[in-house]
Amino acid sequence: MNLTIEKQYLPSERYKKAITYVTILFLVVVGLSIYFNFDPWLFITDFHFLVDLLGEMTPPNFEVLWKKQKVFSSILQTISMAFLGTLIGGTIALGLAFFAAKNTTPHPAVRFFVRIFLSIERVIPNLVIILVFLISVGLGPFAGMLSIAVGTIGMFGKLFADAIEGADGDPIEAVYAVGASKLQVIRFGIIPQILPSFIANLFYAFDINLRAAIGLGVFGGAGIGFEIHMAMKLMRYKDALALIFFTIILICLFEKISDYLRKKTMGQDILK
Amino acid sequence: MIDVRNITKETREGVQILKGISFKVEKGEFVGILGPSGAGKSLTMRCLNGLTKPTTGEVVFTDNQNNAINITSCRGKELRLARQKIGVIFQGFNLVKRLSAIDNVMIGQLGNMNLFRSLFYGFTDREAMQALKVLEKVKVAHLAHRPVGSLSGGEMQRVAIARAMYQQPSIMLADEPIANLDPNNARKIMQLLKPLADEMPIVGVFHQPEIIQEFCTRIIAIKDGNIVRDGDNKITRSEMRDIYGAELSEIELNRTEHSAVSYQLSALGD
Amino acid sequence: MEYLIYRRKKTLNKVLVVAGVSFLAYWAAISCKVDLSIFWQGIPKGIEFIGFMFPPDWEALLEMIYPAIETVLLAFMSTIVGAILSFFFALAAASNVSPPWLRNFSRFLLATERSLPEIIILLLLISALGLGPFPGVIAMSIGCIGMLGRLFGDAMEEINPATLESIASVGARRWQVIRYGIIPQVLPSLIANTIFRFEVNIRLSVLLGAVGAGGIGYQLFYSFQVLEYQRATTAILVILILVFTSERLSKLLIKKIAPEAKLK
Repeated sequence: MNLTIEKQYLPSERYKKAITYVTILFLVVVGLSIYFNFDPWLFITDFHFLVDLLGEMTPPNFEVLWKKQKVFSSILQTISMAFLGTLIGGTIALGLAFFAAKNTTPHPAVRFFVRIFLSIERVIPNLVIILVFLISVGLGPFAGMLSIAVGTIGMFGKLFADAIEGADGDPIEAVYAVGASKLQVIRFGIIPQILPSFIANLFYAFDINLRAAIGLGVFGGAGIGFEIHMAMKLMRYKDALALIFFTIILICLFEKISDYLRKKTMGQDILK
Repeated sequence: MIDVRNITKETREGVQILKGISFKVEKGEFVGILGPSGAGKSLTMRCLNGLTKPTTGEVVFTDNQNNAINITSCRGKELRLARQKIGVIFQGFNLVKRLSAIDNVMIGQLGNMNLFRSLFYGFTDREAMQALKVLEKVKVAHLAHRPVGSLSGGEMQRVAIARAMYQQPSIMLADEPIANLDPNNARKIMQLLKPLADEMPIVGVFHQPEIIQEFCTRIIAIKDGNIVRDGDNKITRSEMRDIYGAELSEIELNRTEHSAVSYQLSALGD
Repeated sequence: MEYLIYRRKKTLNKVLVVAGVSFLAYWAAISCKVDLSIFWQGIPKGIEFIGFMFPPDWEALLEMIYPAIETVLLAFMSTIVGAILSFFFALAAASNVSPPWLRNFSRFLLATERSLPEIIILLLLISALGLGPFPGVIAMSIGCIGMLGRLFGDAMEEINPATLESIASVGARRWQVIRYGIIPQVLPSLIANTIFRFEVNIRLSVLLGAVGAGGIGYQLFYSFQVLEYQRATTAILVILILVFTSERLSKLLIKKIAPEAKLK
């Protein structure tokens, strides 16, 4: 048998192909860098700015955490924004999900419109939402909380709807079979099935929303995000670093708490 | 040639798995190792190419250029160079499924390649041709450019053998190479391995007594971490029962006898 | 009888949980300065405001194209740089490649990074380096590393060790095992996750742009600041198109290039 390797499989050809892709990518990145005035030399020349900043930021001034009353309340604000926003947003999302699911919607047209609404809502950036709320209810944590709620609806509306549609049909049929009304079917047939994943998603949403709350705080004038921004603007760098450290610890702490609570509720299955 | 000198292996908790294994295998021998599960067969095999270090004792490997290397004590570059000359095939084939057959074969010479070249350039066309020739020897050249994940078990094991052969080894090790194959393919694989014994020692762990009796020149039985039998390839039913105890069913014991008979018959036929 | 006690306990648990959550919600509401009257008043204000935002200022559309491209390119570049850096972080964070001390330290760094919202990172960098896309790219790349570093590291740890062992058995060195054993197996997952991260980065790029990184996020913010709300709507529409397109594109690319990959 005459053994040959087709050209396309030759290692040298494959190498040429790979190198071409890499080179194109490299040229694109280099081109973009030039376009953005993203001079890699800046890394070296301007690096000292970062070091300077770091110098000004250390040692972090942890006293600001308990001295300034405002800081303590803003920490609570951030947590509350995330908590309430998740709660309200999740509940509304669940409610809308029932209208968006094939097996629970009162009418296919309703389903259609709710689904479209959710799709659009998902795409609207958080930024826009918070700007609208800022104008409606003014600066402060209220606007932040509302926009987190709306964002949560967007994130989880579709997810919950899909979960409801995916619920096992047999238990649902069984409840119908004993003569229950539609609402009763939902209460006893569907909700028990989706409750675990609903709660798990709520915890997940809280994690995400906590970070979002910090970020949005910069815009909305509430919470730690705002404090950090202010501290940096006022060049109180030591305060800022302390706050940042605290933020990291806060997020890690809540992650652990979420994990713990989630394990506890999932294991016990206390809510039917 | 490989010389196993009284190796023992103790786990971290103090359980002794290997209690003193010694044997020597030369060119021309096809050694089949059998024994009940947990006896230490795979562990012994892993000591042969340094994947596991025995607690005491040593393994000395002499390559075709008569360099003696102490596998147990060498590390780093020395160990790699030694491993390059030891061909291994495994029960699970252990190929990189996403790569093509020919790529998998060419991996066999990584130990000899310049590091920089192998990382940034890859393989050369000449190496590819060599690999293709080896694939032809194991009759899977037509599958050279297919990802091995899409091949059948028998075909995958052939690619694994091709990779080992591509290393141009001085010894071949096989850890239950046919356990995942159907009897037909198993025999074909053994028929591929058998001729290699003329050029180098082959040491393999097998579970099928009839296969061992037909293809191997010497049978070593390991039970409870000790060698309980090291002799020629005619093994009797009572010996098998002693070695395996309750593990072997009556049917399998019968197979042992029958294959012993058929082997002798086929020997007569030659 | 025991069953009744069980049920009573369950109901008690249920009631406790609901009560606890309501209690927390009440205090959270106070902390958030929830004021229903403001809310009711706000609704007409909000609707009126949205009215101001329509119709979109179509003339401004042309001005938005350039910043939009900027935003996309920013996200693209950050994703590439971030992915490459993440790969190396992942090697350090995979237990089958890296010694335990390095692995644990890397995982700790990655987890810490994930706790830092990119906005904060950007604020830091802006204080040091000024406004513009430069700090934006750095902030987003660092943000990538937290997520992709962990995903890639997990993907590497899931590799069947037997395959890697067999490559080591032919005498290969560590980096050769990485190149021929690890990379081919995790590549689909790497590519899929990188494309997914690009989608995330587009949204981030918009958000960070508003804080000072430029691009269309800044256009949106600026429009609000100068009270040209219709211009803002145009910006919003462009943003919607960007986000939507990037989502579709990413799903398509993932299906095409790496269908077997597992995400998240």
